[in-house]
Amino acid sequence: MSVLAWTSVVVFATAYGLIASEKIHRVKVALGGAVVMLLIGATDAHHAFFSEESGIDWNVIVLLVGMMLIVSVLRRTGVFEYIAIWSVKRTRGQPFRVLVVLMLVTAVASAALDNVTTVLLIAPVTFLVCERIAVPVVPYLIAEAMASNIGGTATLVGDPPNIIIASRSGLSYLDFLVHLAPIVVIVMVVFIGLSRVLFRDAFTGDPERVRSVMELDEREAIHDRRLLIIGMVVLALVTVAFALHAVVHVEPSIVAIVGGLVLLALSRLDAEDVARDVEWPTLLFFTGLFIMVGALVNTGVIGKVADLAADASQGRLAWASVGLLWGSAVLSGLVDNIPYVATMSPVVAEVIAAEGGGTAAESLWWSLALGADLGGNATAVGASANVVIIGLAEKAGHRIGFWQFTRYGLLVTAVTLAVTTPYVLLRYFVLAG
Amino acid sequence: MAEAARMLARLDLPGLVVVDDSDRPLAVLPCVDVLRMAVPQYCQDDPALARVIDEAAADVFAEQLGDKTLAQAMPGHLRPPVTVDGDATALEVAALMAQSTSPLVAVVDARGTVAGAITLDGLLERVFAS
Repeated sequence: MSVLAWTSVVVFATAYGLIASEKIHRVKVALGGAVVMLLIGATDAHHAFFSEESGIDWNVIVLLVGMMLIVSVLRRTGVFEYIAIWSVKRTRGQPFRVLVVLMLVTAVASAALDNVTTVLLIAPVTFLVCERIAVPVVPYLIAEAMASNIGGTATLVGDPPNIIIASRSGLSYLDFLVHLAPIVVIVMVVFIGLSRVLFRDAFTGDPERVRSVMELDEREAIHDRRLLIIGMVVLALVTVAFALHAVVHVEPSIVAIVGGLVLLALSRLDAEDVARDVEWPTLLFFTGLFIMVGALVNTGVIGKVADLAADASQGRLAWASVGLLWGSAVLSGLVDNIPYVATMSPVVAEVIAAEGGGTAAESLWWSLALGADLGGNATAVGASANVVIIGLAEKAGHRIGFWQFTRYGLLVTAVTLAVTTPYVLLRYFVLAG
Repeated sequence: MAEAARMLARLDLPGLVVVDDSDRPLAVLPCVDVLRMAVPQYCQDDPALARVIDEAAADVFAEQLGDKTLAQAMPGHLRPPVTVDGDATALEVAALMAQSTSPLVAVVDARGTVAGAITLDGLLERVFAS
């Protein structure tokens, strides 16, 4: 490799280390790294802005903007609070059932929307309900963060790593649903069983107070029916359009942004106010990352790594797939899974191309997605949902320490991966062959 | 905390000046901040939730203030005191209040201890009623 290639590796590794250490804000690091890559000539304006292989992935950025706009309008309708409280009332306040219901609502919502918004919406409901039935709120919050990461794994739009994988691989919304949703359902069932044991101390409610959840009136949560109906219709149409990609041939990014803008226009809300809810810093973080990874592609580093990976996995695809699953989980637990997947995607794409495609080779994409998404549960900083939940808990006066979360996280990740491994092996190797 | 809230309600005050052991002002506590401490955080994060709570429970929300002290109730969120010295003009006080949106300004003497307080009501009366 050339001097420039090695320099770009050093820049990238430094940036990755800084992101992991959280000493400097990740947006500053990603943009700073991108600027350095441009200055040393590892990439240029043309590649950074316009190249499909080594530039900013506009499909990802635009899809995120679209979904964030939709979510920003939907959260103003109160529909989420309505569903959560309605579901909780069906449990009659029995603490373990409340936990299961909150986990299921979180998982399903995380599959349809993004994880951070879901936990932002479910956490306040959880504080309210737990206060009502007089149970400790922290186990419920931890379980929700994990349910969010598991549920988000099921769909193309559920978790940002999946959005990146979809754009790089060309796999469709239905592909994600067919390949990931079945295992996510199994993992979720296992996780619910596990949480009965893990959080067993949190299920002793006062029977008198338990009944008081029935006094909550979920219908009061909704105060703008028109907005609610429009919001649900647009979300349904967007989801159908995602699923019909093979028929309508419109990219998910276009579907999302059109849906977001139409919803914004119909909502009669203040556009500036809604646009403020779009997480612009996160989008800038993505841009910086894409430019940095693009520089590694330009200088041939990614190609080199892919060659090595392809050689190593030649004739041992099943091992490669399982290795990628567990390796991705470990790395995603240590660092945010977004930079990890942004870096690994071009490598995986090249390995699959070298293998000449096929079901077995494509299993690498699913291993990458499952490992990165489920690995987010491993530590307190493994996924954005964890960080947000811990922040909200702290604000409400319940500190969740790094190890308090991570203790549960490591166990849950190990168990969920142990369930996922036979799925990958059976579905793509044993039964496919 | 509960004591402060009761005093505000009983005496119909716009807020309190919190002082340390030697009467130096530590913070200004406007009524609205007392409210902010009493309202559950989840209702402030998500106003839709304030609506779903039944009346019986909603009437007693302030019970959670309980035995908390001011410092515990709002760590790091207490407003720094807005102070003037004894010879401040009405305009000076008005400018301070407008800029800090505090309904209460503490008057301190040369030693830095609280000599009194000017309320928004009192100021408005002085400025506009004359």
